[in-house]
Amino acid sequence: MKKYLESFSQRIFADLKSNEEVSLTVSSEESDFIRFNQSKIRQNTSVTQHEVTLIYQTNQRLYKAKLTLTLDLEKDLKLALSKIEMLRKQLNQTDENPQFFAMQNNGTSEVYKESSRPSTSELINLISDTFNDSDLAGFWSSGPIRQASINSKGQFHYFETDSFFFDYSLYSGPRAAKGFYADAQWNEKAFLAKAQDSKNTLSLLSRPQVKVGPGAYNSYLEPMAVAELMGIFGWGALSRNSYEQGFAPFKKLNEKELMLSKKFSLIEDNTLGLDTHFNSIGELVPSQLPLILNGELKNFLTSTATAKEYKLQSNQADSTEGLRSFEVSAGTLDQKDLLKTLSKGLYLSNLHYINWSDVQAARITGMTRFACFWIEGGEIVGPIQDLRFDDTIYNLFGAKLDSFTSHQEIFTNTSTYSKRSLGGMKVPGALINNFNFTL
Amino acid sequence: MQTEINQNLFASEFKKYKSEADFVAFKTISEKNRDYTVRNGKPDQFYESNDSGLLIEVMLNGHIGYGATSEFTSEGVQRTFHQALEMTRAAEKNSVFKFTQAIRPPSKGYYETSRTRKLDSLSLSEIYDFLKKTSLALKTNDKIISATSDVMLIETTQNYLSSAGAEFTQEFDIIVNSMQATARDGAETQTRSLHGGRGNCVQAGADFFNLDQALQDCEQISKEALELLTAENCPAETCDVILAPDQMLLQIHESIGHPLELDRILGDERNFAGWSFVEAADFGKLQYGSKMMNVVFDPTVVGEMASYKFDEAGNPAQKKYLIKDGILQTGLGSLESQMRSKISGVANSRSSSWNRAPIDRMANINLEGGDKTIEQMIESVERGVIMFANRSWSIDDYRRKFQFGCEYARLIENGKLTKILKNPNYRGVTVPFWNSLTALSNTTETYGSPYCGKGEPSQVIRVGHASPYALFKNIEVFGGG
Repeated sequence: MKKYLESFSQRIFADLKSNEEVSLTVSSEESDFIRFNQSKIRQNTSVTQHEVTLIYQTNQRLYKAKLTLTLDLEKDLKLALSKIEMLRKQLNQTDENPQFFAMQNNGTSEVYKESSRPSTSELINLISDTFNDSDLAGFWSSGPIRQASINSKGQFHYFETDSFFFDYSLYSGPRAAKGFYADAQWNEKAFLAKAQDSKNTLSLLSRPQVKVGPGAYNSYLEPMAVAELMGIFGWGALSRNSYEQGFAPFKKLNEKELMLSKKFSLIEDNTLGLDTHFNSIGELVPSQLPLILNGELKNFLTSTATAKEYKLQSNQADSTEGLRSFEVSAGTLDQKDLLKTLSKGLYLSNLHYINWSDVQAARITGMTRFACFWIEGGEIVGPIQDLRFDDTIYNLFGAKLDSFTSHQEIFTNTSTYSKRSLGGMKVPGALINNFNFTL
Repeated sequence: MQTEINQNLFASEFKKYKSEADFVAFKTISEKNRDYTVRNGKPDQFYESNDSGLLIEVMLNGHIGYGATSEFTSEGVQRTFHQALEMTRAAEKNSVFKFTQAIRPPSKGYYETSRTRKLDSLSLSEIYDFLKKTSLALKTNDKIISATSDVMLIETTQNYLSSAGAEFTQEFDIIVNSMQATARDGAETQTRSLHGGRGNCVQAGADFFNLDQALQDCEQISKEALELLTAENCPAETCDVILAPDQMLLQIHESIGHPLELDRILGDERNFAGWSFVEAADFGKLQYGSKMMNVVFDPTVVGEMASYKFDEAGNPAQKKYLIKDGILQTGLGSLESQMRSKISGVANSRSSSWNRAPIDRMANINLEGGDKTIEQMIESVERGVIMFANRSWSIDDYRRKFQFGCEYARLIENGKLTKILKNPNYRGVTVPFWNSLTALSNTTETYGSPYCGKGEPSQVIRVGHASPYALFKNIEVFGGG
């Protein structure tokens, strides 16, 4: 792939005129997707796909065009060069872009990461055999992913990895326990231990259901539930561009009118090794970037484009200004003391479908999902019916935050919309007082 | 020229492999999507996606597996076919269901969007001119801090050939157009848009664009964004609610569309999008809503976003009642789901693109109109709220407990519209909510969404929703803060 990209980019750049710049952002994957229902296979899909997003810049104007690549060099070049020719004729008929900045040579690099895993055919049998005593719905995803950022200033960053994850849930009637297994190297013992954990949780769900109505309850959120909550932080909340345009849930935090808990720190952390060392335009990303430290906002995610428009300092955020690879700092609560400390309230393994209910107030709503229990006297009493919450981030990670666990879990990004994603997060569990449930 | 070359290769490669499994189908999807945004009269984003590739379906011993590639060359097709065959051979030993070839009918035909001028006739400068004028028209006041006008122009071609004899081509021109103004005064910030984000979706050609109408819309959007800065919060109480069609589109989508998908009911989506409160035994029996509730699946409506002649398995599109006189009738299930569940379904096997296997999706899901004027509906309300344009949505994984928020609302007191209200929200439970439906307007409006997410691997698909204004009794409403 790297050789193909060298040939492709050299031919594109050779065709440019003196006032033109081009960058190429490449994504490529060979993926096996296996979808399970009732512990059997519903659909299997193997996908080979390559795409390049060509950014063409001239006279303070820019245009992005994504093209799928066939890897037939002459065919792909014909399409790309015809696109550039069209832009030469049309782009100057528009106005200058306030986010325009000249391309830079951000260096060259190559990173290759390897993983080991059984073949997908072997996996099919292993998963079916492991869960033949269960009703499993799940999703296996694996294969190489390649990304590159190349530009006409001489920049050439190339990244190649191989990854896998198995995301699943086990059912007993309408009740379910969630499981997730991903690692750099396949470890069958660890996979089987996770499977057994999920089966053990499912057995707890067979206890009689406890009726819990709307109200405020002290709640323990497992790391996977905290991960769901953190998803909303990536939905414009920390984007400087969104902030400038009025989508500003953290306006009061930025203006120090409100604070989060001193126990809450959120750091963009590329040392976790979950994402590329360069962003989509090839800028090297900081190894660590504090966003919120001890409850105080330290940085928005600011791309170079946003920095140009608003005369700010870039911190090499990607153009979407979302979280890529981040950590919520651990606390001091020991896992073995969880239920005793909670004493009475809700144990929530997962949350679902979180959305802003009032952006400006940083108020969010969502549902509990999968294995969630009522706790009394520090013991599990029984599962609950799903509840809707509606509360503010200022409450949940502010005054209502009791503590984070000392234990953190890593969740790799499982998003497969259009293509497989890199990135992920490392988060602890959280004990939250008086979590507000409305339905 | 590019398309002709691909067509020849497509046909010749299909011939090579069509007898190599119990059933073989080749599908190509080529799509150009120009997504442009102008903010405060200046370029914000000029992005276009040119996406094309091949999906191969193979059936072995009743199990269907898939291979997909962007490497649309003889070597790429060969490699993809053999990968699909190998994986399907391994999978069929543990398949969840053994299908017959009846799930892939031998349909033949052609479909294209009804239009007088194709979207590809629009140049960048023509589109930019429209977006610049409308963006500037939104900025009527210094308090408007962001004025954006955007459009997605989507040109899609599908080709399908199968060993069962299917052969069809479908060409779509789709437009998603939005204008949005965000106003700020001190600590208050409010956003108003044309029908809520990207709700304004149609299947149409270049003649869709009407600058005079768009400039009038901009004036209204801007005025209402400024009104919201000084508006009262929506009160927290239980009262009547009238939902405008640009909110009803989400209400229909989330609390009717998704729970009726047969693959959800069969459990395929349990690990990701979720299950459903609807069970197989509910069809023909469940009083889903009040007797005035009639909901259709209809991919035959000219101009609605998700119209087509065949679904992606070759099942001919037909209008069907999902809910008739409030009673649940039909599931949103493809021929595959119909065979598995033995429940009546529709032609809705759809994929987001060539790189994903088709699954049960919505297309156009429409609520039929009633017999009241909007004025009569308002006059019938002693105390209530009328809400416009979706801005927030959330529902549980069984599609019972929902909460939605809108951009703009008016209080109704003694049959009259009174105060403007900001941050209107409401929540409820699906079946009791639809059973509280008490009036529908005699006019409908058509919208949609380009972003319906579902599936593993995940897929985003385009859906259309038409609805009248709808009056619901005794709904829990509340404001922001």
